[in-house]
Amino acid sequence: MIRSMNEKFVQKKGFGTPLIKCLTKCKKGEKTKVIGVNAGFRAKKRLANLGIVPGTTIKKKTEAPFHGPLEIIVKGSTLAIGRGLASKIIVECSEICNF
Amino acid sequence: MNKKGKRKRKKRSKRMLPLERVYQKRHERKLRSKVSSEKRAIYEKEDAYKETINIALAGNPNVGKSVIFNQLTGLSQTIGNWPGKTVEKMEGYLNFLGYHFNIIDLPGIYSLSTYSLEEIVSREYIISEEVDIIINVIDATNLERNLFFTFQLLELEVPMILAINQMDILRKRKIDLDFKKLEKIFKLPVLPVVAVHGTGVHQLLEEAIELVIYHHPHSHYIEGGKNKHEHLSHDYHLREESKIKIAEERSTLKFFQFPDLSSVISYGKEVELRIKDLVKLIDEYRDYFSQFNYPSRFLAIKILENDEEIIKIFNFDDKSKHIIKIAEKYRKELEDLHGEDINTIISSEIYNNIHNIIEKTVLDYTPETIKETLAEKIDHITTHSIGGYVILGLVLVGIYTFTFIVGDFLGGLVEELFMNLTIPIYATYGEDNVWVKLLWDGAMGGFFGAIGGVLVYVIPFFLIIEILQDSGYLPRAAFLMDRVMHAIGVHGKTIIPMILGFGCNVPACAGCRIMETEREKKISIALTSLVPCAAVTTVVLGLVGRYLGLGWVLFLFIINFSVILFIGRILNKVMPGESTELIMEMHDYRLPNLNVITKQTYMRSKEFIFKALPIIIVLGIVLEIMLIFNLLEPINIVLSPVTVFWLGLPIVVGVFLIYGILRKELTLVLLAILATSMGLTILELMTPIQMIVFCLVTMLYIPCFATIIIIAKQTNWKYALQISLMEIAIALLIGGAIFWGYSFFINL
Repeated sequence: MIRSMNEKFVQKKGFGTPLIKCLTKCKKGEKTKVIGVNAGFRAKKRLANLGIVPGTTIKKKTEAPFHGPLEIIVKGSTLAIGRGLASKIIVECSEICNF
Repeated sequence: MNKKGKRKRKKRSKRMLPLERVYQKRHERKLRSKVSSEKRAIYEKEDAYKETINIALAGNPNVGKSVIFNQLTGLSQTIGNWPGKTVEKMEGYLNFLGYHFNIIDLPGIYSLSTYSLEEIVSREYIISEEVDIIINVIDATNLERNLFFTFQLLELEVPMILAINQMDILRKRKIDLDFKKLEKIFKLPVLPVVAVHGTGVHQLLEEAIELVIYHHPHSHYIEGGKNKHEHLSHDYHLREESKIKIAEERSTLKFFQFPDLSSVISYGKEVELRIKDLVKLIDEYRDYFSQFNYPSRFLAIKILENDEEIIKIFNFDDKSKHIIKIAEKYRKELEDLHGEDINTIISSEIYNNIHNIIEKTVLDYTPETIKETLAEKIDHITTHSIGGYVILGLVLVGIYTFTFIVGDFLGGLVEELFMNLTIPIYATYGEDNVWVKLLWDGAMGGFFGAIGGVLVYVIPFFLIIEILQDSGYLPRAAFLMDRVMHAIGVHGKTIIPMILGFGCNVPACAGCRIMETEREKKISIALTSLVPCAAVTTVVLGLVGRYLGLGWVLFLFIINFSVILFIGRILNKVMPGESTELIMEMHDYRLPNLNVITKQTYMRSKEFIFKALPIIIVLGIVLEIMLIFNLLEPINIVLSPVTVFWLGLPIVVGVFLIYGILRKELTLVLLAILATSMGLTILELMTPIQMIVFCLVTMLYIPCFATIIIIAKQTNWKYALQISLMEIAIALLIGGAIFWGYSFFINL
């Protein structure tokens, strides 16, 4: 889904780089902005209550090995988020990156 | 103040000459009687007015609600540094300034929506008439997230005090809050608190009196008001007058006038307009809605959010159902307008408002501190992809080695003491005296066996578990183990009750409430009940560890953990549904508070001493009686097909395994008593292979009685029974396999 959206962006605006990616693709220590959450109703509500809403700055602190969860900093506090859920959080691509 | 003064006076009087002391005392007595009579008069009058104030402590998880609760009530609610410790609301009482306070500690939640059962329960409790005032506990180091919950509480329009906790940590970071501005914004009392030291905790109660009794939100920050003591709650004479006044006013002023906060809590234009429309509709229908205690605005927001519980309220008649339809229309409009779902829209509106407040009130805010603090460094190491696992392994091994070294040393001392005491007693009263058998071998043997065999292991064990809890390591373990736990159908959080299960399965199984879904809770409970608890560990360490060495202990533990993995995999396959994802807040590390740790260790050990020790002593006597009358034989013979034939154990252990269901450590303690009364050591009673099988069966064969009850309470009796039967089957299977495998090899 992200791929198709990115392709659309690239075609529309003529940029050479994709504009969005999922949170799991971020590097350690990278800071980005949330674009949207592509999850079910309940998960979305839960994340929204914890402050993960479009426009929030999010910093990826670290991730556990073997496809483990991610540690992120949102609204000044640290959250551990399972990888499956993190891959549904779509963030801005701040720099040139592969997806 | 008064108490301190008295203590000082006493100290001084000790140093005085005798005659002087007499004069001093006489003078004191006079003084005291005068003061107390004056005070008594006041209190006597007060008794007539004595009022109860019901306070509920609410807030996010792990902000210090339970710490404040313990400070106020002197009770010992579990505290630690991980979210979800308080599993059920806890009640405590205290008398302060002549009022009776009824304090309720609610489990921590992030919002008042209906994501989890705790949220629904807390919301209904707060709104019920049982609560006079809420103390919203806020973590100063995490203001933004905590204020989100505060904003939701504000919508409920219940009298509220904001207690901003952990101000010491915030100030250490060179950040401060503008309390004056905060009070101006919220128009409610906002107080700095350092709960661990008890600073500011009792001011909360003063403030509660001001709000509940005098309907007078008091501001601490009136200019020049410092010289005058402004608190009505402290002014006894004024209180008398105003009480009368209030009694008159009560008829008209029934409720605390909640301040108008519309400028603070209102949302963006589009959302606000629709909410106002809905409020209008609901207000028209006030007769019906007033019975639910919810304010109209709260109802409007929640119906717009499509809250399941609130929709139930609206599903009443045509007119109220009509409101649902309008709300649906509005929700659609908003979602189309913003391109987001309604929860996201409202949450971002609230976070916008919070952001504005934080900009105004947080002083000296340096966004990213340049220097890495020690806590951050430790955090970095303990969540590192290699180092983290090494540390986790070291921690788990460390728990056992520490317990073993300390316990073994002390256990040896106690045993020696018992031996040394036995010799003279046998010499004076004779070894075959019935009373010596009953009281010394039975009762005292049980007592020393419990202390030397169990308590010396239990105390260091609880101590180290408390340190782990209080430091904040547990969420890191959950983070690291998330991937592994997914293989057995749960997410990383399960590791928290499991580690606690090393201490005692009973609170650990209760702690499984932190799991979000029923399925995960059930799997977690099953796995946690298999974790070798302190009692089981002492049996293993005291028998196999002491006589065969730590290597065999490790062997037994590996078998135990493989069983846990295996059961997890099976339950994952059998139970319907899928595992959910981990969402968990990771709080900063903090230095464990010595006071808290010693107190909690003491409380837990005390429970062992007062609950288990009497049982052990009585059972010791009963065992001796049974030995004298040869009553053990029939029970053991009935059990012998299982114990002797299948597991290859000595016939005498049959009845101990039954006692072991009561408390697992009894298996070892009673074995030790039997050995003493037969004049043997345990080594002569059991062969090494028998010890291993015996320990393994003790580890696995059934959760102890208290655990079974807590499992039934958390789920249902059927499930508790299923778990028990499953564990008996596994224990017999593996125990038998080891015994038969061993005899097969020997015969080769």
